[in-house]
Amino acid sequence: MVRRRGIGMASVFYGTGYGNGFPDISSAIVELHPSGKATVRTGAVDCGQGSSTVFAIIAAEVLGLQVSDITVTTGDTDNTPDTGTTAATRQTYNTGNAVRLAALDALSPLLDMVKPRLAVNTVDGLVVRGGAIEVRGLPGRKVTLAEAVALAKAEGLTTMGKATFTAHTTALDPENGQGAPYWPYAFATHMAEVEVDTLTGMVEVLRVVAAHDVGRAINRAGVEGQVEGGVAQGLGFALLEEVQLNCGRIQNPNLAGYLVPTAMDMAVVESIIVEHPEPSGPFGAKGIGEPAILPVAPAILNAIFDAVGVRITDLPATPEKVLQAIKLQEDRGIVK
Amino acid sequence: MQDQVVGSSPVKVDAKDKATGATKYPGDLRVPGMLYGKLLYSPSAHAKIIGIGLADAWQVPGVRAVLTANDVPGHNGHGVIIPHQPVMARDLVRSVNDVLVAVAAETMAAAEEALRKVKIELVELPAVFDATAAMAEGAPLVHPEGNILSHHKIRRGDMAEGWARAAAVVENTYRTQMVDHAFLQTEAALAEIDDGGILVLHVATQYPHWDRKELSRALGMPEDMIRVVGGSVGGAFGGREDMSLQVQAALLAMHTGRPVKIVCTREESFHAHSKRHAMVMHYRTGATGEGRLTAVEATIIGDTGAYASWGTNVLRKAAVHATGPYIVPNVKVDAYAVYTNNPFAGAMRGFGAAQPAVAYEGQMDEVARVLGLHPFAVRWQNAMTEGCITATGQVLESGVGLRATMEKAGSLVGWDVSKING
Repeated sequence: MVRRRGIGMASVFYGTGYGNGFPDISSAIVELHPSGKATVRTGAVDCGQGSSTVFAIIAAEVLGLQVSDITVTTGDTDNTPDTGTTAATRQTYNTGNAVRLAALDALSPLLDMVKPRLAVNTVDGLVVRGGAIEVRGLPGRKVTLAEAVALAKAEGLTTMGKATFTAHTTALDPENGQGAPYWPYAFATHMAEVEVDTLTGMVEVLRVVAAHDVGRAINRAGVEGQVEGGVAQGLGFALLEEVQLNCGRIQNPNLAGYLVPTAMDMAVVESIIVEHPEPSGPFGAKGIGEPAILPVAPAILNAIFDAVGVRITDLPATPEKVLQAIKLQEDRGIVK
Repeated sequence: MQDQVVGSSPVKVDAKDKATGATKYPGDLRVPGMLYGKLLYSPSAHAKIIGIGLADAWQVPGVRAVLTANDVPGHNGHGVIIPHQPVMARDLVRSVNDVLVAVAAETMAAAEEALRKVKIELVELPAVFDATAAMAEGAPLVHPEGNILSHHKIRRGDMAEGWARAAAVVENTYRTQMVDHAFLQTEAALAEIDDGGILVLHVATQYPHWDRKELSRALGMPEDMIRVVGGSVGGAFGGREDMSLQVQAALLAMHTGRPVKIVCTREESFHAHSKRHAMVMHYRTGATGEGRLTAVEATIIGDTGAYASWGTNVLRKAAVHATGPYIVPNVKVDAYAVYTNNPFAGAMRGFGAAQPAVAYEGQMDEVARVLGLHPFAVRWQNAMTEGCITATGQVLESGVGLRATMEKAGSLVGWDVSKING
């Protein structure tokens, strides 16, 4: 058995949001309760990617609360506002912005209300943290959020904030494709380390170093989770997955015939979070959902080239294709 | 002062219920009097429908509804760009995604039995299964208006000058395959009519508000009479943006006056949602002897299957991202979304930007090989930086952390980044 190692690099960019001038709109509602806790309502759907946790973090940060103080209600046409599709790597950026603004909107009347009580001349002299509104520089002088909400309710003030955020995008010119279709763009570089068995053509991905510019990580573990999932899905795209067709009919509509990576196929992932803040993002954040998968397959293909000197240009890079390419190269008398 | 919440790693808000199994997905829902629904998909990818015999299906004990296109009260079509994917096919099937019949029965076994008793009479039509072939004159038409759904062009700079300045030109064709989302939770929906006559649909979806629009259009019902509840979703990746079984579940509930649940088997799930576009990408890339990109020309053909879904937008995104994260002064890109009689393609994580990355990053390594340069060095000197201009003429004013990702990832595999860059 002759196993050869190689390293491959791939860099990508990714325009997040709907793009091409499409209305890219998210709305959110944040309600403060007399318990001092809060509810976030958005139409966004947490499909496992962690959007609800991101919204809880953003609301908690703005309101000076803990994540456990926030309830997130999502995806119900009767009870949540429209936030557009949960797609296009747009929920952290778009709805995240809307949640941040809605939390500020909920807070604003409370700050005005407690201003005389705390004897400050401007709301800029107030800071919200640890479940209380306190005077900047005089942390002992404060009103708890719970008290403030109760007072506001007694005065007939609403403690519900709402906001809408729209992402910037312009349509492309149909003749030359010029325009500003997406904003913001995400960037990433992956390095894949593979071992190719030259007798069987099997490719084993040993390690993927995945560096992503996310602007700012709202949830660090969440970013890492998305990256690891992206590597798994990208590995499947590179080496395993293919819907096989015969006259338009799916030949392998099952998980015995359609191979997704298992834990046995998975590489070690080293996730590196690069935080180059995006000024228009909530706390500087951009999305991570889709960028996570993009560099994986090209990095693996480039690593196969580095290992055995054959360039696979037809995905997936099955053992048969890799072996055939190696044989072809040997026949030509080129041996790496 | 409390620790900042942003940038921490709290336990996910849904973690406990997911870990303990307490989370209820639409497929877990059960209500009194609930019927089981099931859909019959077309056995053929392109055929004329001569007849659909339902009499025997109705005879199966426990069957409460057997519906066809004739039972769709509103617009018999859905789609995010063009609403032309039939809720149930009437005269013609264009792919194996086409639904012919929907049944509801007291038990799943009765629903399955009823579908086996449906008599379908089809006459096969000439079909096309290759996107490049579908673009040719005289190819069988998937839709009467022609097989090319969209053509996006990007034109920047002067290609002749770009090639003239190139010391090396590399040319390759890359092919990527059709991919399924293969999310863990298959499609599931529970439809019921509440006491106020409101249609309530519980469904794992990526966009409840859009589903409501589609339901309104197909059912001929105002949106305020429809409530869509997203519930828990076991993975999506773009595969839950188009309608799958929402409208049929609603129709079965409306016809029977009973709650109806449909849960796809894995095999049905493969037929119920979109796929990642298979693409053929022909690339020519030119660079100076030092590795500076001078020109990129790309022709990208995406197989969008029998229905538009997001095909136009996916291939537009492929065009916009065709040059990769690099500064290229001269660019010519043509990206086509092409109808075939294959299963329809739509949104999948990366949305048309995943396939070109295979091509442009293969090209960058080939440029490096031909010029005898390090792959890192070629990428580094062409990398987008703040203030650079993209192939669409967009100035990237902020948030460009590309080189930092290159530097960190390269160093971690032991590449001496500063030495490589000289």
